[in-house]
Amino acid sequence: MLAEESIALIKEKAAKYPERKSAILPALTVAYRQVGHLNDELYSEISEIIRVPAVEIAEAATFYTMFPKHPVGKYLIQVCHNISCALLGADSLIGYLEEKLEIKKGETTSDNLFTLVTVECLGSCCTAPMMQINQDYYENLTRERVDEILEELRTRA
Amino acid sequence: MAEAVTKKAPSNKATVTLTIDGRSVTVDKGTTVLEAARSLGIHVPTFCWHPKLKSVGSCRMCYVEIEKMPKLQVSCATEAMDGMVVATDSDLVKQGRRAVIEFILMNHPLDCPTCDQGGECQLQDLTFAHAIDDSRFAFQKERFVEDGSVSTFDDVQIGPEIMLNRNRCIQCYKCVRANKEAFGEFDLGAFERGNITEINAAPGRQVDNPFSGNLAEICPVGALTGMDWRYKIRVWLTKTVSSICPFTASGVNTLMYMDETKNRIYRTTSRRNDEIDDGWLSNVSRYAYQVVHADDRLLTPFIRRDGKQVEATWDEALDLIAKRLSDIQDQKGCVCIGGLVSPRLDNATLYGFNKLMRHVIGTNNVDYRTEYRMLPQTPEDHYQAACSQPIRISDVDDSDVIVVFGSDMLKEHPNLYLRIRKAFNFGAARIFILNPYSTKASDVAELEMVYHAGMDEVALGAVCLTAVEKGIVSSDETDRLREAIAFDSASAAALACGLEPDHLELMARAMAEARKVTFLAGEIISRSREREPIAAAICNLNRLFSINTKGQFGILPGHSNSRGAHHLGLAPDPPASIKAKLRSLWGQYPDTETNTTDSMMVQMRKEEIDGLIIMGANPVMLYPDRAFARESLEKLDFLVVSDLFETETTELADVVLPLSSWAEYTGDYVNLEGRVQTASKAIHPIGDSRPGYAIVEAIADRLENTLYTAEDYRRDEIDTMLEVDTACPVPNLYVPSKGGQDEDDAEYPIALMIGDDPHHRGHYTEKSASLTSHVGEAYLELSPDLAAGHEIKEGDSVRIESPVGKVVLPARISEHIRNDIVFVPRNFPSAPVTSLLMRKRRIDRVRISKVVR
Ligand code: SF4
Ligand code: FES
Ligand code: FES
Repeated sequence: MLAEESIALIKEKAAKYPERKSAILPALTVAYRQVGHLNDELYSEISEIIRVPAVEIAEAATFYTMFPKHPVGKYLIQVCHNISCALLGADSLIGYLEEKLEIKKGETTSDNLFTLVTVECLGSCCTAPMMQINQDYYENLTRERVDEILEELRTRA
Repeated sequence: MAEAVTKKAPSNKATVTLTIDGRSVTVDKGTTVLEAARSLGIHVPTFCWHPKLKSVGSCRMCYVEIEKMPKLQVSCATEAMDGMVVATDSDLVKQGRRAVIEFILMNHPLDCPTCDQGGECQLQDLTFAHAIDDSRFAFQKERFVEDGSVSTFDDVQIGPEIMLNRNRCIQCYKCVRANKEAFGEFDLGAFERGNITEINAAPGRQVDNPFSGNLAEICPVGALTGMDWRYKIRVWLTKTVSSICPFTASGVNTLMYMDETKNRIYRTTSRRNDEIDDGWLSNVSRYAYQVVHADDRLLTPFIRRDGKQVEATWDEALDLIAKRLSDIQDQKGCVCIGGLVSPRLDNATLYGFNKLMRHVIGTNNVDYRTEYRMLPQTPEDHYQAACSQPIRISDVDDSDVIVVFGSDMLKEHPNLYLRIRKAFNFGAARIFILNPYSTKASDVAELEMVYHAGMDEVALGAVCLTAVEKGIVSSDETDRLREAIAFDSASAAALACGLEPDHLELMARAMAEARKVTFLAGEIISRSREREPIAAAICNLNRLFSINTKGQFGILPGHSNSRGAHHLGLAPDPPASIKAKLRSLWGQYPDTETNTTDSMMVQMRKEEIDGLIIMGANPVMLYPDRAFARESLEKLDFLVVSDLFETETTELADVVLPLSSWAEYTGDYVNLEGRVQTASKAIHPIGDSRPGYAIVEAIADRLENTLYTAEDYRRDEIDTMLEVDTACPVPNLYVPSKGGQDEDDAEYPIALMIGDDPHHRGHYTEKSASLTSHVGEAYLELSPDLAAGHEIKEGDSVRIESPVGKVVLPARISEHIRNDIVFVPRNFPSAPVTSLLMRKRRIDRVRISKVVR
């Protein structure tokens, strides 16, 4: 369910666009920020607000891997597995993360802290391998770096 | 109400000249390289391109080489330019196409032996054509699997008639694009991306829109297949026969796939005719063929003996008909016999029927409009004129103003509905809709104006008066206009109709400024008791705005051969030019009294008509006063009914004759434009049924008056009739409005509208399993507020009562309908909704209540 403030914010954003469809991504972003992920109910709520068919909103939402479509942990770890990162060991890094967090990719740790997913190229090939956690990039990764990062996030939590 | 939309002006037609495979071609600017090549007859393979959709260039199959361009180009999304030199068949192009196919086959299962698309799969054909037998993609194919199954049969039914296999999808997006762009439907989408891109139903929905069958037809592979055809037969074992949709007045062109050895039709696809249908079929047109094979077709004649209908031979039936008709004629004369015929029957049947009734029997009791109430015996000049105007379906495309008046376009003329959407999406049309209830076309309308039921001619008159008062058009007829609608000013009239005066002005200005106007009225008008004043208002509007000189206007006929019925003189009192032709063909024309469906029924009740022949019509079910129709027919001494099925009307018959369907003989039909089209014989008649023309000829023979002395005469006479220009002159009289003059019964506060469901048309379609799988029962459509006021929720049983009848139907709540009106489809024999209607009413009124269990 979208909160009053989110609905107001979506309306405000939508008013800026001459094409109603253009408001889809800003609206999804608002919904995602509030709820932490997206789902079918949110698509139909947004559909009513910006008056764009729900299917078009679902299409846009599922196209972008940046929007999680299921509840995720506090930290959403998105590891790039595209070509540059893959050449520099992304696969082994993903295996290492799975081992350390004791989850498989796509899953969330039992303390609800970490969710691990893989994504397509994040445009940071020159610092491969890399991952994004929530809004931040972590680059030139090694196993040691991963240990440090996880440690730091745990303490911060 | 849709908000105003700004449209681009159409581009002016400049041309460009280019060279393709060494041949020079000149095309309009804006043409794609692909279309330029096609115009030379050069075939460039495609997957994602569709002639009626915008190009997206997603499949890359249409690669061509263009000089001075560094890489191969997709011809479907490259505009032809002056001086371009294009190669469609170079080694580089072939190599590029091979790579595209190899890439598409990366994830495509090679399950062709068990795929229903086999034999008509574009991917199979192009793989074959490019001799590709190897792949560099050696890894596991990406798979969608349902329920953990490892089979490539990831079959998911996403709608009543659509099966989806995501593994076979090649992401051409034609299905989603057609659904949105051409049909304006949003029940299907393309989700995710990359390897796991997936076509599927929209969240929480089914793909069940009235055009959904097209999706399986246009899918180039076996990703979307039609449930009706799946695994029944291989396509190469069928023979195709060209046909016409018998349920649409546009005369949509179809292909029937049949197996001669089984005398069976397996499916219908489009036989694209850009002037009529653009290659789209509504589900009604697509699944109508199933009516032919319904298992309760009448297979033999029946004769009533001792009160019961028992099987009989054709000889017995025909002898009885001849004897009883002669008896009636001998006793009381030919005026005591009448005939009602369905305007869905072909020209030979209609003409033969007319000749049998008027020439052999000698009566003027002939009518084909058995669904319209209270047709007056005097000719309706304005109505006839508005119905016989020349209309071109394709002229909708480049009209810049389109007005729809009194028509639920989607339900009445699905292909015109698509044309209007196209004129909006691809052309520059501004669309105005003026209706007593909101319709599905409203999302492309600049304005949808909903007037109070029964105020049709006042609403239209108010548009005319607005134009005159505001000086939008000049006219010296202001007073007469005021007098006709019985209001002093346009704004007073508008308000009485529940319309905003400003809206009428906007529409009037648009029509006055337009380059080309298309004005279409429909069944809501034709079904009104006050057709004539409404038609007069239409004629006035036409004159004031000169619509017919810069566009087209008319009331559209309701059925696949209504126009033919008009041309062939099946109206009780046809226009003089038609009568003159008939007289010269037959050497005589009866001078007896003329009677319409309604006045015939009145005479039956007075026992002034004793014998009646009905062919293909079902007045008991569809005449808008069921009790009246039934009681009238019950009074007859002798009733002959010929039909495909046992109906509410055949039940009353003394002789029932099995009629062949349109697929069982070759027949001609005149579409709403006046175009004569042929539906060819696909299969032999089912059972002992006979085509309508053969039945009327057999009856005439028994009456010792052969209809045609030689076989060719039938065609010659019909051709002569169709040569006549029967567009009636448009009269310019004023007919006083009868708007809102019905007694307003406080006990029955809600107006009732009866029409077709988008998946059905009149009777018969409920026999098509695919259509009933979409909508299989009647319902009551009502507004959320009205529902809430009666504590009715979606699906609740609701009792609907009028002064004369009562039916119980499930509720369907719709945002699109006003609080003072409800809609009920008339297509289901199980819900006799015409029992709520009274023929003398202008607007039927009901009250509703929730059925408490
Ligand atoms: S389902 Fe068929 S029509 Fe739709 S995108 Fe896939 S291949 Fe194209
Ligand atoms: S491939 Fe990983 S960031 Fe580009
Ligand atoms: S047909 Fe041109 S890219 Fe698909």
